[in-house]
Order: sequence, then C-alpha cells, then structure tokens
Amino acid sequence: MASQWWIDDDELLATLGDAVRTARDMPANFAEVGKATFTWHSIDADLATLTRDSARAEEEVLASARSEPANLRSLTFTSAQLTIELEVSSGALLGQIVPPQAGRIDACAASGHVQTAVIDEIGCFAIRRIPEGSFRLHCQTVSGASVITNWITL
Amino acid sequence: MRDDPSVTALVTRARNGDKLAWDEIVDRYAPLVWSICRRHRLSSLDTDDVGQSVWLRLVEQLNALRDPAALPGWLATTTRRECIRVLRAANKQEARSSNPPDLDTLPDEYAAAAEQELLTAERDVALREAFGALPPRCQRLISMLIADPPVPYAEISSTLGIPIGSIGPNRRRCLNRLRRHPPLAALISAESHTTRGGDRYGQSVVDR
Repeated sequence: MASQWWIDDDELLATLGDAVRTARDMPANFAEVGKATFTWHSIDADLATLTRDSARAEEEVLASARSEPANLRSLTFTSAQLTIELEVSSGALLGQIVPPQAGRIDACAASGHVQTAVIDEIGCFAIRRIPEGSFRLHCQTVSGASVITNWITL
Repeated sequence: MRDDPSVTALVTRARNGDKLAWDEIVDRYAPLVWSICRRHRLSSLDTDDVGQSVWLRLVEQLNALRDPAALPGWLATTTRRECIRVLRAANKQEARSSNPPDLDTLPDEYAAAAEQELLTAERDVALREAFGALPPRCQRLISMLIADPPVPYAEISSTLGIPIGSIGPNRRRCLNRLRRHPPLAALISAESHTTRGGDRYGQSVVDR
C-alpha cells in the first residue's frame, strides 16, 4: 500500500476499490454468524476454560517417551464455581461435574441446535449424540451455579 | 490506537444489550476478520471456525474491554491468534511423520506485517464508511470507476446521463467529499503525522 494513499485521486480510488472489493468478496454468511453470537451476551454464567486435554497431554508424553495412548479422549474445563470432566466415547459425551451436584446441562452447537441432559445427584451426565461442529456446554446446578465452557470442537 | 468515537458508542450500546449496535460492529469489522483469515490462507471451513471464535470471544469480553476505541486492534490480534490455533491443529497430523513448520515463531515473523495489516484494515473500514456516506450519485459514479474490469467512460456517461467531459470533475468532487468524511479525515490526519512528508499535505488535503 502506498504510504500516502489519500493524496492522489488515482491512488485513493484504487485503495477505495480494494476496500470495497474485500467486503464484497466476503460471503454474506460470514457476518450473519457473527451477528447470531450476540445471544450469548445475555447469558449470565462463569466461563469454564479448558485446563486439560488428553489428546494434547498424550502428544507431550509421546514426545519424551513412548506410552500407551488412551482410548478415550478426556477434557477438563475449570471455572471458579465448578469443574466439568468430559469423556468422549463413541457417539456420546459422558461427564461429571465437581463438586458433585444435580442440575442440567445444555450442549449448544454453533448451528443453534441445543441438546439438554440431566445431571444426577453425583454430578454425572450423558449427552447421547456428540454435537456436530463447534459447541459449548452450559451447566446449571441446583445450588445455583451457572457455568459455560469455551468453544469445543471434537 | 486512534480514537474513533463511533466505535466507543457502538461498544457501549452493545454492552447494554443493543442488538443493532452489535450487528453494526459485525458489519463493520467482519471484513477485517475475514481478510486476515484469507491472508493466512485458511480454508472456508476454517475461516468460519475462526470467525465464530472471534465473535464469541468478543461477546464474552465486551464488558471487559478496557478501551473500546481499540476494538479494531483487539479484533485483529484475536483473529490472528485464532488463525494460528487452526493452522496448528491442521499441522498436528503431519507433526509426527515430518518436520512441522515452527508455528511458534509465526507471530514474531508476522509482528511487523500484523501492524501493517491492522492499519490497512482500519483504513478499509474508514473508506467503506465514507463511501457509504456519499450521495447516491457519487456512489454510482465511483462504483463504476472502481469496477474491475473498468467501465468505459462512454458507458458511464450514458448510464449516469452526464457528459463524458464532466466525469473527471465529478470524480474529483466525489473523492474530495470522501476525504472530508469525518472518521476518514481523522485517519488521514493521524497518518499524515506519522508519515514522513506528511506535514506538507496532511490537513490541508482534507480541508480543501
């Protein structure tokens, strides 16, 4: 880009052309998805971030010494209020929240599709179908905790 | 970071739950996010993934943003980080068999380019805004002038119903009007102070 693109009419026009074309080349859907994310703004929940991923841990172990790879991928999300342990089995997500307590958990896909599961007294839950694409887990417990995980893609 | 009062106003409104303000933020800056993805040569699937993550992070961070006027910079940085995350994930498979490119050095290598990218993106946002604020006649004329391939003057003349001889003067008037659009004028003024020789032109250009 010219350092003083605004002085010369031809340069300004060319620069403007680039700017307008960039926006036109962008698929309309790209902005629509961004607009839809605003629904998350009103959700009053603590963010639980990924603090452990067996797939990542395994790679680190492999780098230093050979070890038996785990069959199940497991993920841990941690927030100030509670921890969500997640295991990815074939076709389902099995999990437990710590400290154990009852509640409900929603798996919210980027597509807008939501699957809801019950969390039992010992904090266990099962989400029967692994959401396609990216999703987040939103967990609300009887004690009043409300926690939402970061974006997950399996 | 330049101070753009309209960004601050949009962020404040969005914080208070104004969906329209949020939509305007996305309309303004989605091309910024998208063009950074494109420069990282992401697939369209990965580009969508990055886009989603960036907007989600912004929704989450909206209330925590210390300096709302710095939003473009925040978006550019967040987008680049997400691009690198996606590229790294894609490289995972090859990592064990071959020597993977060292993606950790990528941000450093890109540091200078990143700054330039942000300036370009901010400039593009201001240019598109200024273009959108032009009178319809100017917008139509300029649209034809920036068309690729270029529209012949004879065709511009017949479409707009103006003599070929007045296309040049109209072009000049419309571009001057574009330069005077306040956010663009502010940006030009700020850039002319940081560019060598800017004092010679700078403000005088936007004021005339």
